[in-house]
Amino acid sequence: MKKVAMLLGAFTLSALPAFAHHGWGGNEDKLTDVTGTVTTPVSLAGPHGTMKIRDAQGHVWDVTMAPPARTQQAGVTEKLMPVGSTVTVHGHRNKNQNTYEIKVTKLTFNNKVYDVYPGME
Amino acid sequence: MRDPLTWIEQTGLGHMMRESGPWTYAIVNVAHILAVSTLFGSVLVLDLRLLGAWSRRIRIADLSTAVTPIAITAFALAIVTGAALLATKATAYVDNPFLLIKFPAIAVGMLNAGILNVTPAWREVGVRALRPGERRQFAIMGGISLLSWLTAVTAGRMIGYW
Repeated sequence: MKKVAMLLGAFTLSALPAFAHHGWGGNEDKLTDVTGTVTTPVSLAGPHGTMKIRDAQGHVWDVTMAPPARTQQAGVTEKLMPVGSTVTVHGHRNKNQNTYEIKVTKLTFNNKVYDVYPGME
Repeated sequence: MRDPLTWIEQTGLGHMMRESGPWTYAIVNVAHILAVSTLFGSVLVLDLRLLGAWSRRIRIADLSTAVTPIAITAFALAIVTGAALLATKATAYVDNPFLLIKFPAIAVGMLNAGILNVTPAWREVGVRALRPGERRQFAIMGGISLLSWLTAVTAGRMIGYW
């Protein structure tokens, strides 16, 4: 019984690597700005608010914001930015330079700054 | 893997998840965690007994009477809530390797439980004393069960960290 318990404990601990904040480990620490046009408007479903934008080079970026309620509280609703509107997002892009994915802390739309991840740089 | 994910995303369940407010995912997530923890906890107790824990004091039949209905109910809730979480944005998980670990692990766990359930000795548990070979077989199946559910829970949690 003791052996079983120890084995179980070891398994459980091995499943807990040191993730600072889930999902951010694969993103750069430095901040990047991306300006583009909205191709998929904001969705406030799922674990995080998301949207897609196309930059000047034609790359389509997967934009991830805070959890839905917090993103909405920051003023970013699903109807805020229609498809085709221009937006600048500010945040941490994926470490893989061929992956156009960015976790966003702020975004600028219509000269207004939205703090979509309050407390994050 | 893209086709089934696209399909589930476009079901009514997916639409419901996406179109019912910013808290839906979080609430369904809570139900999923409750279901998974209940399932794992109840399975853990029975598996430890099959591996030999408390063998002098607690009869397998008694433990199974208490634990199996809880496990089955929790499993059903986990399936429904899990499908809903996945359907929200299923195509976002196309390249997620943990999905490919989690689902086979669940299949192994279910298959193992199914086989145990139809094993003749299991049907007679509590009726007569187990032979050493049968006890060993139960211990092996308890171990397989524990490993498969541990893998499923671990891989399941890791999906969000990919």
